[in-house]
Amino acid sequence: MIQLFHVTKYYDRRPALFDINLQIDKGEFVLLMGPSGAGKTTLLKLLFCAEQPDEGQILVQQRNVARIRPWEVPYLRRRMGFVFQDFRLLPKKTVFENVALPLLVQGVSSFDARRKVMEVLKAAGIDHKKESRPPLLSAGEQQRVCIARAIVNGPFVLLADEPTGNMDPDLSSEIIELFKTINARGTTVVVATHNRQVVEQVNRRVVTLAQGRLASDDRPASDERVGQ
Amino acid sequence: MRRLAYLIKEALTNIRLNRTTTLIAVATTAFTLACFGVFLLLYVNLRGMVGSLQDDIKVIVYLHDNLAQQSILEIQHRIKAEPEVASLAYVSKEQAMADFRTQFPAESHLLQGLGENPLPASFVVTLVPRFRSSDAVKRWSDRLRSVPEVAQVQYSRDWIENLAVVVVYLELVAVAVGAILSAASVTIIANTIRLTLYARREEIEIMKLIGATGAFIKIPYLLEGTVLGALGATLALIILKAGFEFFKQQLGQPGRFLGIESGFTFFSNQVSLLIVLAGLSLGFVGSFVSLLGYGRVKV
Ligand SMILES: Nc1ncnc2c1ncn2[C@@H]1O[C@H](COP(=O)(O)OP(=O)(O)OP(=O)(O)O)[C@@H](O)[C@H]1O
Ligand SMILES: [Mg+2]
Repeated sequence: MIQLFHVTKYYDRRPALFDINLQIDKGEFVLLMGPSGAGKTTLLKLLFCAEQPDEGQILVQQRNVARIRPWEVPYLRRRMGFVFQDFRLLPKKTVFENVALPLLVQGVSSFDARRKVMEVLKAAGIDHKKESRPPLLSAGEQQRVCIARAIVNGPFVLLADEPTGNMDPDLSSEIIELFKTINARGTTVVVATHNRQVVEQVNRRVVTLAQGRLASDDRPASDERVGQ
Repeated sequence: MRRLAYLIKEALTNIRLNRTTTLIAVATTAFTLACFGVFLLLYVNLRGMVGSLQDDIKVIVYLHDNLAQQSILEIQHRIKAEPEVASLAYVSKEQAMADFRTQFPAESHLLQGLGENPLPASFVVTLVPRFRSSDAVKRWSDRLRSVPEVAQVQYSRDWIENLAVVVVYLELVAVAVGAILSAASVTIIANTIRLTLYARREEIEIMKLIGATGAFIKIPYLLEGTVLGALGATLALIILKAGFEFFKQQLGQPGRFLGIESGFTFFSNQVSLLIVLAGLSLGFVGSFVSLLGYGRVKV
């Protein structure tokens, strides 16, 4: 479903990613690990078409996005969800309005949007705060809003960049549980993190980057999808 | 439908949140357009004046004395048959004297001393509108001068020609001033929108990330600029109207001005509407300019 072939991305002539080959199948839960500066964020940005690779091809649902035209990008993004470390919520709009925004820009009817937004707010466990504004929420709550917004479109893949960035272990564990639930319902999940705790909690495929290169790609023996 | 409502709401929110910048932008736009409006008003009135002068234009054909009644009639027929002539009136020597007496009662004794009536008989000719331009009048009267019975042909040529030249110059000045001030309005509005864009750049970025198209993001700003332009033009019209009324009051009752019956006129409703539309378009162009190159997708 997502395939990278010999992908290289340079920043100022230095490769942030170098000759990456990677395949992610439908329903997988992939953890992207690696030290700071390894290229995790860069990889996610390439998938989300926030950057374009300098070499190589990227297939997302059979579509080559390595050379996508700018006007096509919004339509691709509507089929993906992205969770940002810094949340990227609109501070002056309520939680409900924030989560409804991806539907609004597509022209989904008011009635359908309302139903869908309530559904994901509940799934993310933040429906009781739907009239609050993001700056008044705790980091964990904001992250839940961000996740709700990312899945409101029913995306085929959910990409998350350091979703547990500066959270304490309990909160981090709650957020990861939420990702596991979303994955269990069929959405492919890719999470970039350097939090070891997350690896143990998820216990699924771990792709490790080091200085822009693919260092290792491990699947635990217990990964049921490998066994099947 | 829901999207449209959202976009309009966004534009209004932008205007409300940047009240000070909006106010300054509207005021400067209004001032700029008002400056242009003064020129336009001057031009419109002067052109109207030239128009009515040209409507007024009469060619007076003086005849030699001692023409037989028969040849006067002949000439009258000949002149009347010309395609340039709309109507003509004969003023006999006696009539001319009577007119002089009523127009200048104090000076009538000047003529008395001369004994014989010195005033010539004449035709007062009104031309058809098509031939009222100063060129056509000149050509026609030159032709008439070669008629042996005609002593002299007169019309207020220089006067009208001068005014027509002034109008042409004013037209050029108005175009130049208009172009410069339009560019100024566009720049002012573009800068205002650019400020809004800058203030809301994070929000715009977020909109891009959740799959909003460039058009969806830009429309509120285009609306904002358009509204600013229209408001500016409306304010300019109000300023102009107030100034115009003040000016008219200072000048007193409308009456004969430079020899023509004319009160000054303000823009007609159509022209006023056109000015508002012009402001609206300038606003649209201004925001369009500021949005150029803003479609690039970057996170
Ligand atoms: N916009 C940019 N311009 C220039 N260099 C960049 C840019 N973005 C990333 N880089 C460089 O590319 C390399 C990879 O960065 P990236 O953000 O992908 O690392 P990361 O693995 O996400 O690190 P972290 O764990 O700190 O988030 C780094 O050396 C970084 O300095
Ligand atoms: Mg990063």
